[in-house]
Amino acid sequence: MDFDFSVITGHWHFLGSGVLVTLALAGLSGITSLAAGFIAALARLYGPRWLRPVIVLYIDSMRAVPVLVVLVWTFFALPIVAGVTLPPFWAALLGLTVHLAAYAAEIVRAGIESVRPGQTRAALALGMSRVQVVRRIVLPQAVVRMLPAFGSLLSVTIKDTAIASVIAVPELMRQSETVAGQSFQPIEVYTFAMLVYFLLLFPVTRGVDLVYRRVAHLGRS
Amino acid sequence: MALDWSVVWQHRDVLAAATATTFLLTIATMAIAVPCGILVAALRLYAAAPVRAAATAYVELFRNLPLILVVYWAFYVVPILTGFGLPPLATGLAALALNVTAYNAETFRAGINSIRRGQSEAAMALGMSRVQALRRVVLPQALRRILPVVASTWVSLFKDTSLVSVIAVSELAYASMQIRAQTYRVLEMLTAMAVIYWLLGYPQAKLVDWIQRRYAVTE
Repeated sequence: MDFDFSVITGHWHFLGSGVLVTLALAGLSGITSLAAGFIAALARLYGPRWLRPVIVLYIDSMRAVPVLVVLVWTFFALPIVAGVTLPPFWAALLGLTVHLAAYAAEIVRAGIESVRPGQTRAALALGMSRVQVVRRIVLPQAVVRMLPAFGSLLSVTIKDTAIASVIAVPELMRQSETVAGQSFQPIEVYTFAMLVYFLLLFPVTRGVDLVYRRVAHLGRS
Repeated sequence: MALDWSVVWQHRDVLAAATATTFLLTIATMAIAVPCGILVAALRLYAAAPVRAAATAYVELFRNLPLILVVYWAFYVVPILTGFGLPPLATGLAALALNVTAYNAETFRAGINSIRRGQSEAAMALGMSRVQALRRVVLPQALRRILPVVASTWVSLFKDTSLVSVIAVSELAYASMQIRAQTYRVLEMLTAMAVIYWLLGYPQAKLVDWIQRRYAVTE
């Protein structure tokens, strides 16, 4: 069997643009889902009582439904309901954010709950306001403890961007499908895509471990 | 906007069969991935150096690849490499099993490592062989500890079976999208798909929470 990897070099521009879209989508949805997750977790823990069951239902629902379903629904069904058609990239960003924010919220909650309640009580007894307690005492420790989980969430985010190929976002997976289909050389193209994804993901998981080891002492109490 | 929800009920047979396929895929994948995961974990912990390296490489590779790419790869590349084609269902099952085995292997390895070394040393001092010590002393305790992790892998797997829809395995996602394409009832079918996944997945997610509370490690 002959392998001809010239198909990769011949389409490097096309595939390279896919890598950039993958990185952009992963980076943006990483940031938005982190922000939304923080808000959801803080609202669940410190917000009004009626809001809690709503947020719990949202989080558990996202844990129950595949990300493919969320993406396909956002792209094909949302326009019918809302009357606005989002371009694939923005539909993917919205779908991934809605899905991943639930996981981020669980990580934030676990991090905050891991800080012993005695600390909060002590800070309140010293005269701090509730907001001050969260900002100065709880979050600085909790955020460090959340780091490893955020690292795996980031790697999940990069992997989930590949599913956006189903709604025609021109990221690496989609571009690879196109090249594989046109060139009739799926082995070369998909193996190349595997290599690229591995090279993107492996340093993320390892890098977060390294960073965490250096800052772990900040989260101890 | 005129919605016609009867389309969902009209296709109930197809949807029921597709739901059964989704569960079949989940169960079959786990049935393969648990023993294979234990095997790979054991190879990583106890085998000779080259085998250990190969097992590590396998685990790290598949944990760092998007599943959808593995599914495509299995669909297009395996028939060319091996010279014979598998039906889509078997291909999808193979891709899922390769992926979940890697995750399970890491889970089992962590579980086995969490049992103090002294216990297997004590077992061997009592005259047990390494295999006996592993099977009778280490694994029974390790399995209890990793049950919550395997349970949450199960829920992830249940959701990930939707990804084999891209190679036309007629599970729930594929079947719903096919009906959508035939009837043009986009909103109805996609919402029905989401609701069915939710109805099936929600109790499983809650069960996982319960298992995690029930089997939490307290030391």
